[in-house]
Amino acid sequence: MAFITIAPPAQPGSLDASTDLQPSLSGPTTAPAAGRGRRRFASLRTVPLKTLPSHVLLIALAVVSIFPIYWMFVTAFRPSSDALSTNPLPGPLSLENFQYVLKTIPIAGMLANTFGMALTLAVSQLLVAILASYGFARWDFVGKKALYLLFVGSWLVPFQVTMIPNYLLVSQMGLLNTITGVVIPQLCSAFAVMMLRQHLEAFPKDLLDASQMDGRSSWRTLWEVVVPNLRPALAALGIMLFISAWNEYLWPSLIMQKSDALIQVGIRGFLGAEGNNWGAIMAASSLACLPIFLIYIFLQRYVVDAFVRSGLK
Amino acid sequence: MFIETAGPAAGIAPAGPAGLPANRCPKRRALSPYLYILPAVILLLVWTYWPLGQTVNLSFNDWNLIPTKPKQYVDVQKYAKVLSLPELHQALINTGLYILAFLGISVALPLVFALLSRKVQGKARTAYQALIFVPFLITPVASSAIWRWLFAPEGGTIPAIASALGAPMGNVFRDPDSSMIAVIVIVGWQMLGFGVLVVSAGLAGISPDYAAAASIDGASGRQITWRIIIPLLSPSLVFLSLMTILLSAQWTYPIIDLVTQGGPGNSSTNIYYLLYQFGFRNFDAGLSSAAGTLFFLGFGLIALVFVELSERLSFYDN
Repeated sequence: MAFITIAPPAQPGSLDASTDLQPSLSGPTTAPAAGRGRRRFASLRTVPLKTLPSHVLLIALAVVSIFPIYWMFVTAFRPSSDALSTNPLPGPLSLENFQYVLKTIPIAGMLANTFGMALTLAVSQLLVAILASYGFARWDFVGKKALYLLFVGSWLVPFQVTMIPNYLLVSQMGLLNTITGVVIPQLCSAFAVMMLRQHLEAFPKDLLDASQMDGRSSWRTLWEVVVPNLRPALAALGIMLFISAWNEYLWPSLIMQKSDALIQVGIRGFLGAEGNNWGAIMAASSLACLPIFLIYIFLQRYVVDAFVRSGLK
Repeated sequence: MFIETAGPAAGIAPAGPAGLPANRCPKRRALSPYLYILPAVILLLVWTYWPLGQTVNLSFNDWNLIPTKPKQYVDVQKYAKVLSLPELHQALINTGLYILAFLGISVALPLVFALLSRKVQGKARTAYQALIFVPFLITPVASSAIWRWLFAPEGGTIPAIASALGAPMGNVFRDPDSSMIAVIVIVGWQMLGFGVLVVSAGLAGISPDYAAAASIDGASGRQITWRIIIPLLSPSLVFLSLMTILLSAQWTYPIIDLVTQGGPGNSSTNIYYLLYQFGFRNFDAGLSSAAGTLFFLGFGLIALVFVELSERLSFYDN
């Protein structure tokens, strides 16, 4: 609370503006102006002081966020005799828990299956969304608003409300307990269509026109002009769709009741069977998160941008 | 029908200097937007809207999900029954409490954090953001396992700390007074960082000129925050709130299923978990569908009111 009141002088924007106007003003503005000049040469000394409370706050938040994950890895890498150790530091390192998990459940297969499922979903959702958003963004046509409303409105239909008819349909197709049955109802993501449409609406019309003048059909324009130019946005969206598909729980848990081919369902069974064998449970959980962590480590900026943009309007 | 009207309306044709390409094959042009949209629309109709109609249809029938057994039309009996069930009342109250909790954890608290930490810029900011976003990415089976371990009465970190502080705790997931709080802690842990990043991004999008101009005019920091920053942030906040209201029950569903199964004694259940229990535990398709139809209508109404409100309340700087 206390430092809300001192926030404005510390804010770079307000500082710059007041110094720009400094010659025409007198008195109070000279103090921040001097502060800014000092900061430019001795930034290491003054900035941390001003932002210290913010750093403390963010460190606390980061610790709360990371500690449970840290603890998962620490427990997973302990020998099983040390599972209940309260030593907050890691060690002694042991792969015993991972060996036990690999021996007990076919976790490598589960990971491979889940990877295939999430990749199929991300690619198909991206493909369907590229086509639909291109249709919406490039042309005006009769029924455009009504059709788009179908996509926006699907946001209001929670999966739990339609899960019984969907389940029956998948069961009639003979796809219960198959990965295809998990994938097929989710091939189109209305969310992806809406996100991509925003990008495409902002796409320079001149480029489309030029491509048309060159004699390209709308189909070739899409793949030769639009898609190459949207690569960063498509990558970010694709990564986001992959992570969402990987973390999806409800539908796999309904469809795969008699199969443990996917990580979500397989690990759920393992949790139930192992009870208090925390070392093994944490090892299995770490493996379930591993692909997402790897994506995050290498493509952090993409991941954060995509998810955060989805929460912005 | 649409072929005649769509031709002249074709979006990009008038922009071309000669306008020639647009007239080359008007028929194909008029059809093409529909062809591009077709796959998405078919998938939506088959897997979202047709099932929605089926749910409404099932809600007037008595059926136990066995294909060989015929459905029996029972008029609005299922609605009458579901509305009188104490489980439904409990689930509705719980869902309301979950929503309130997450309005605090994923909207209000992130607003405070983002405002207080906006002075931190550059590499430090990126590093903090990278860390606080991680819980959002944890798959539900793993996050439920992690927190079951943290809360474990034997060897769990949190009970150990609690008893060291002189407040021993039992198994939080088995106690009807704490099971819901435990679910809120787990899901809140995942949503908090996401909220902070969304609000921070919204803050970063606000031009500093406004605050600068106001401070020249003599506005205090508090005034700038309340009169300028928060109104300009309102589109992000409204959107985040709407997401929280509509999606809280879906965020909590996996954790409820994995950690408490709605118990003990329905103390941690929510409306969507109830739908699952009606449908896939009690095999009462009619009851689940009737409740589902009601929830769909209820949330639809809330969303409409919200959109209407946000049109009036939101404050844009363009």
